[in-house]
Amino acid sequence: MHTTTVRSPRAFGPTRKSFIRRNLPYFLIAPSVVMLLALIAYPLLFALRSSFYFWNLQIGPEPLQFVGFENYVQAFNAFDFRAALTNTLILSMLGTTLEFTFGLAIALILLKALPGMNVVRALLILPTTIAPIVVGFLFRYLYDPGGGLLSWLLQSLWLPVPAEGILGSPSTALAAILLVDIWQWTPFFAIVLYASLLAVPDEILEAARLDRASAWTILMRIKLPLIKRTAIIIVMLRFMQIFNTFDTVLVLTRGGPGTSTRTLGYSLYEQGLVNFNIGLVSAMTWITVLIVNVIVALYVFFAFRNEEW
Amino acid sequence: MTIDIGNMSRRDLLKSASVAALVAGAGSLAIPRRGAAQDANTVRVLSVEDPFFFSMKALVPEYEKETGIKVELESLSYDALQSRLVSAFVAKTSDADVIVVDQMWLGQYLDNGWIIPLNDFIAKDNEFDLSDFIPEVLYSSNIWRGQVGTLPVAAYAQGVMYRKDVFDELGIAAPPTETSEDWTWTKYVDTLKSMEGKSFGGKPLFPTVVCGSQPSPIVHMFTQVSASHGANWFKSFPAAPWDFSPQLTSPAWIKSVEVYRQLYKLSPPEAINYVWFDAGTRFAKGDIGMFYWWTPYFYLIKNSGYMTGKKSDVMEKYATAALPKAEGVPQTVSLGGWSLGIPSSSERQEAGYAFIKWATSKATQKKMALWPDLNYQFSDFARVSLYQDEEVKAIYPYLDVQYAMMKQGNGKVTRPPVPGYTAIESVLGLTLNQLLTGSEEPKTGLERANSLFESILKGNLMIPYQKDSYADTLDGAKALIAKK
Repeated sequence: MHTTTVRSPRAFGPTRKSFIRRNLPYFLIAPSVVMLLALIAYPLLFALRSSFYFWNLQIGPEPLQFVGFENYVQAFNAFDFRAALTNTLILSMLGTTLEFTFGLAIALILLKALPGMNVVRALLILPTTIAPIVVGFLFRYLYDPGGGLLSWLLQSLWLPVPAEGILGSPSTALAAILLVDIWQWTPFFAIVLYASLLAVPDEILEAARLDRASAWTILMRIKLPLIKRTAIIIVMLRFMQIFNTFDTVLVLTRGGPGTSTRTLGYSLYEQGLVNFNIGLVSAMTWITVLIVNVIVALYVFFAFRNEEW
Repeated sequence: MTIDIGNMSRRDLLKSASVAALVAGAGSLAIPRRGAAQDANTVRVLSVEDPFFFSMKALVPEYEKETGIKVELESLSYDALQSRLVSAFVAKTSDADVIVVDQMWLGQYLDNGWIIPLNDFIAKDNEFDLSDFIPEVLYSSNIWRGQVGTLPVAAYAQGVMYRKDVFDELGIAAPPTETSEDWTWTKYVDTLKSMEGKSFGGKPLFPTVVCGSQPSPIVHMFTQVSASHGANWFKSFPAAPWDFSPQLTSPAWIKSVEVYRQLYKLSPPEAINYVWFDAGTRFAKGDIGMFYWWTPYFYLIKNSGYMTGKKSDVMEKYATAALPKAEGVPQTVSLGGWSLGIPSSSERQEAGYAFIKWATSKATQKKMALWPDLNYQFSDFARVSLYQDEEVKAIYPYLDVQYAMMKQGNGKVTRPPVPGYTAIESVLGLTLNQLLTGSEEPKTGLERANSLFESILKGNLMIPYQKDSYADTLDGAKALIAKK
């Protein structure tokens, strides 16, 4: 008797299907995870390993010897690195705070249906589209003590301008770098916050107005809480961006006078791409990564304490 | 100890690339890389965008027409050039057949095997006349451990530029065109002080201008003063046996900082941020009495800005003079400039040598000098014969002064071309920049720099020195030249 065994499609079909279906999210996310590991985790781990070795490309292409925490000690003992860390923290904290404040103010003005606002909105985005290195050159001319517009403006307003120029004095140079950042990135806050404020339901605002709530109360009790998540995220992003400030420092001051405008980004550039001290720059990179992550973690913890994150 | 990059594994290359990418990411600076396969009939030349580049570029079509070889000429800024070169050499992916090498990079490039010595090419080439080059230039910029690593395409000394009309009106004696015991840094500062607080043409006059920006610009200018005062960076270099114990606390360094601070006080205060051409173009604006700088500024100040071609206010009103010296110390002039070399990774080394030979030849250098654009912008000759060429001298009347400075030059003493130079230059540049503001005594700042130098040099295995020393002398270089 000839018999033919026909396996029911159910014998393996549903099993395979359910396996794929069950693991579909992992399959979909796998390429991204692989890419992330390759592009972020591997270089970071490799840099961690390098930070424990003496490795200078000017002396040789390979790490020469294990030096333990010597590179970390050297980084912290270098007075320019400590100055860079301080300057970077000042720039990041002040820059983010001021840009957020000014950006919010501009966003609130944009909400008013004043004439010409369409043009203003279009113009606002322009500074953020210019490369930082170009902005640096632009401000170098604006700060020029021999007739630069900003120097002239301050002198016209009887405000003191240092004899060595705004960029030449340790007392004003860092503020000058900060001003450049504020000029370029405040519009970013303004545009994003404006978009968020547009999403605040009119009926809530109308109800508040009927209850005779003041503009300040509406801002603090309704608008800001409703755009809080967006605000937290963009503040975090900008903080991390300013922490890497490099281009404007290179063009405007090269970290001087002295160490007054040196930033971590500039120090990393100098040790990595000028001195080619890979061991030291790896240690400095890890110190930077740890500091940024600790600050961001604390910020996220407190900012989203009562929120879903 | 010799480090061979030829044995680098693929895995290590990937590691290096990863680190380079990480560093580039941290510094927000991408290193451009060209991936296209090279045309067999093409020579790729990677240069810095100094003045010589523009006149050389203007003549490249002529070279292409004569030889049928296409030249791909690319230029970068100073910092970007070394970043690109070192990254490429470590990964063995240099995309150039000819590269421009700064004087201080020579030791590092040859010791690491990144460029090849040119001795064999020169020895085989019956047409090549090495003896026409100024020995002091070849010694300073091109010879390392008895090998010719590069050939000079633009040789720089340092010299003085002053305003004839200002000196005449204020009744100040013109500085001499020849070195003498009477022309000292003390006299130079005194001459500047006689212009202090004066006006000229209804405008305030600054006696001088210096470079204050860290790290390279201020070091380039300051080290002329320190070399004049007999200051050495190390206990023993270039004389053998090499001992790289730093010597920044010596009286000569302290005296040099004091002189440089005096010069800064007589300069526009914003000079604290001046890079190379800021100082040069400031003189061209017309409110500076006298300054010293690299000899390309002998012609660059004819323009109102760097390579603008627009005539400056001082075009017909300035003259050049000899550098001052320190009392009782033989003069040492800072020599530097740019040279051409061949990367060991190049597959077209013969073609590279042919280009170098053409670019550094007397004929090409003369054509570069006679190129009329930008108000004639090239007189950085390394060849003796061009300093005696009447046609060239008619355009560049200061060549006698420049040649005299070249003959007193020693780049190995002023800015030693040792591996790891940029790291110690960073420390010195920052220290000098801080000392200009006067907030610290020179002795204190230099002691700190000396300590950092020692730490860096020990970390870089330079103290104690672990490789073979080499008795590097000018006479040795002259003997090498005479062999050809």
